[in-house]
Amino acid sequence: MAANPVSIRLVGISARFDHRVKGEVAAVDDVSLEVAPGELLTLLGPSGCGKTTTLRMIAGFQRPSAGRILIGDHDVTEVLSNDRNIGFVFQNYALFPHLGIFENVAYGLRVRRMDEAAIRRVVGDVLELVGLKGYERQMPHQLSGGEQQRVALARAIVIKPRVLLFDEPLSNLDAKLRVQMRGEIQRLQRDVGITTVYVTHDQEEAMAISDRIAVMSKGVIAQLGRAEDLYSRPASEFVARFIGRANLLRTTVLARDGARLTLGMAGQRYVVDAPESGPPVGAVAHAVIRPETILIGPADAVGAIPGRVVTRTYLGEKTEYTVTVGADTLQIVRIGAAETERFEPGAAVGIRLPAGRLHLLPEVGT
Amino acid sequence: MLWSLLALFVVYPLSAMFGQAFLVDGRPSLGPLLSALGQPNHRAALANSLVLGTLVGIVGTTIGFLFAFTATRCNLPDRWVRLLDAATLLPLISPPFTTSIAFVFSFGPRGLITYELLGIKGTNVYGLASTLAAEVLTYFPIAYLALRPVLAAIGGNIEEMAFSLGSSRWRVFRTVTLPLAVPGLANAFLLLFAASLADFATPLILAGSRFPVLPTEAYLQITGLFDLKGGAVLSFLLLVPAAIVFLLQRHWVGRGHFVTVTGKAGPQSALDGVSRGARCLLVALCATVALSILYLYALLLYASVVVAFGANHALTLKHYVVIFTEGWKAIKDTLIIAFLGMPVGGLFGVLVGYLVARGEFRGRQAMELVSMANYALPGTIVGIAYLIAFNDPPIALTGGALIIVACYVFRYSPTGVRTTVALLKQIDRGIEEASRSLGAGSFTTFRRVTLPLVLPAFFAGLGVVFIRSMTAISATIFLVSIDWILITVRILENMTELSLGPAAAFSVFVIAVVMLVTTAIGALLRRLPGPPGIATVAGYGGG
Ligand SMILES: Nc1ncnc2c1ncn2[C@@H]1O[C@H](COP(=O)(O)OP(=O)(O)OP(=O)(O)O)[C@@H](O)[C@H]1O
Ligand SMILES: [Mg+2]
Repeated sequence: MAANPVSIRLVGISARFDHRVKGEVAAVDDVSLEVAPGELLTLLGPSGCGKTTTLRMIAGFQRPSAGRILIGDHDVTEVLSNDRNIGFVFQNYALFPHLGIFENVAYGLRVRRMDEAAIRRVVGDVLELVGLKGYERQMPHQLSGGEQQRVALARAIVIKPRVLLFDEPLSNLDAKLRVQMRGEIQRLQRDVGITTVYVTHDQEEAMAISDRIAVMSKGVIAQLGRAEDLYSRPASEFVARFIGRANLLRTTVLARDGARLTLGMAGQRYVVDAPESGPPVGAVAHAVIRPETILIGPADAVGAIPGRVVTRTYLGEKTEYTVTVGADTLQIVRIGAAETERFEPGAAVGIRLPAGRLHLLPEVGT
Repeated sequence: MLWSLLALFVVYPLSAMFGQAFLVDGRPSLGPLLSALGQPNHRAALANSLVLGTLVGIVGTTIGFLFAFTATRCNLPDRWVRLLDAATLLPLISPPFTTSIAFVFSFGPRGLITYELLGIKGTNVYGLASTLAAEVLTYFPIAYLALRPVLAAIGGNIEEMAFSLGSSRWRVFRTVTLPLAVPGLANAFLLLFAASLADFATPLILAGSRFPVLPTEAYLQITGLFDLKGGAVLSFLLLVPAAIVFLLQRHWVGRGHFVTVTGKAGPQSALDGVSRGARCLLVALCATVALSILYLYALLLYASVVVAFGANHALTLKHYVVIFTEGWKAIKDTLIIAFLGMPVGGLFGVLVGYLVARGEFRGRQAMELVSMANYALPGTIVGIAYLIAFNDPPIALTGGALIIVACYVFRYSPTGVRTTVALLKQIDRGIEEASRSLGAGSFTTFRRVTLPLVLPAFFAGLGVVFIRSMTAISATIFLVSIDWILITVRILENMTELSLGPAAAFSVFVIAVVMLVTTAIGALLRRLPGPPGIATVAGYGGG
């Protein structure tokens, strides 16, 4: 539908608020970001990290205290939200309670003074698209949460906005509906090809739906990249822990060879890709490894690190272990293991960390 | 713009009154205040006002609690609850002195009960007891309305929990229900105290000369002795307790001490909250109170259709002929003023409410407080302040209709303000932002989204302004003139001239008009589109 998708650029935007106790606080602090034309980019982060505030600044509901916002080639920083041509989908839908479904969807078109026949046609089409044909005359409160969310979506896309903005659109729905709706949102976004910024605090939802994800923490972007990048090469402990589960390991740098580092841990050596300004030889370095990549086997296996099982949780398709190795405690997930494989709590086991799965963190902290 | 209106009709009159009370020859002085306090009559009035307010507060809160408890705990059939509601609504929508007039009919020298039934001659209905009784019957519905949601919120789970722990019903009531209701009770007490303190008409009719209270003293000071300064000083004496009560109550409600309870007004407990015996007793008590109210109103109706109540009980319509001929001017003037004030007051309430709830400017809170002032203060004060402020140039408005309309608008639109604020707080800001994002400018958004959503508040506010324009007297009695006269003032004149028939007929007429208009507005509100959840909280209380 959207003929030429546009990009969105945030250039050093900040949002500062007066806080009664803490004085001035920055909800968003000097954020720069570029959303490619037609892309679906997700802002992901814990509660209070500034996702909504960022989105509201793109929408024009809130003025940035510094920085510029560009949609396409236009600087829209000073443009009112009603002139930005955006579609916004709210967490609580924000349907007009006094208008029927048809009128809710038609609202933006009426504001644009489209003629009546065209409105009927276009609204009919879009209601069909979101699967709500026949609901025209219902009132919002007569609809279920999922249906209301679809009306909100229809209302946002019917005006053919240049940019679609979603603020946690699925958080009021139950788990099953959430999965179904996120599929529909993704399909719709692909079909119409509108540049989209999507806010959520649910990492699974973010990974399922996005082209790229910006992980936010305390008003800044901690890492920006595809889901795979964030998962296998987190830039910080925060990202590693926020996206999926992670084991953080203390290692020592044994040797350096160009772009490769040799790390030592529990008497084993691992070769990993080094970050540009890697730690010097002899320094302590932190590495992450995902629980499902760790191998677990009998204690006498050759080359295995000895450990002891603390807990075992059988979950059907997978089994979770916690295992102590020296002073560290590792989480290990075994997926699709043979039913005969049982390491009971207290048992001595041998674990193995596949070298390619170990990822060195550039820095420890945030 | 709104600020300048508020300044002109709220701030300016009050400061003019202060000036009158505390300036002697242009210099500040406590002289007038001290000399007023020196007069035993005035001291008695102050003491009487406080005693009366306290008593009305205690008795009224008790009865209100009784009603609220019965309505929420006794599993009464719906029809019964509606009957209770109807009986409590009557005093709220009548002129403030209807109860007093009916009291005179019932207990006066030729009263139905005292004279006809008991054969007592020369009784004296006037004094503390009857004033108290009449005020309690008039104002306890305020306590009922305030306490009902509180009790409903406490209900259900908490009490069931206590039952399940093995407590007896009485014990649950004593140790759970009552303590949780304490903030609500305190709030109700303050509301009643304020209402009684401000009440002007009841004491004027029933208190008599042996029991002066502040509003009547101030009135006599001005109309009898033409002593503006004395009136202003007495108003100040009245203002102090009124302001204290207002601030206390605001503090209480504002701090959220209020319905801190579960918040979920779930389905009524399946368990009976009270035993059979207690239930019978409660219902009997409420029925007695409700029936006395209905009896008083029936008496009023009866008095309006007999030749001379107490002497000649032949049926006649002559009193109605009188009010529609001689009294026509009062009826016409009152209706004109009410219908003028209605839309203005409704709109004003919505606008101020919108600014207070959504505006982003300094002094929002101040604006809310100022807009509330005329409502919170006793009408006598407002009336005297208007009289002082607008009697002479630069702004001489007394004698005209404008001053009366302005008085009503600024005194009674706060209901609209509060309802608007309450409504807007329920309405997510996102709804307006959604409209903006769809391309509507701020004006279009206001017109097509916000305004329709606050329409219930608009009508509620407008309804209250109308009702009060028909029934109020305490402030406007100072503002009427030969050109513009009000029904309520005529009723009072009739009462003092002892032409009781026309007074009764006027009262019946006012009640009928008010009921008609409230029903119409109620029907309109139900037809407004929108979710049923957005309830209207029309506060009809206050004299
Ligand atoms: N209008 C405001 N005034 C003051 N502080 C604000 C305002 N809006 C947001 N904040 C603060 O800015 C921070 C970020 O808020 P924001 O709503 O962007 O968080 P979020 O990432 O969307 O969180 P959530 O997942 O809970 O929605 C919070 O600490 C919040 O308290
Ligand atoms: Mg948010």
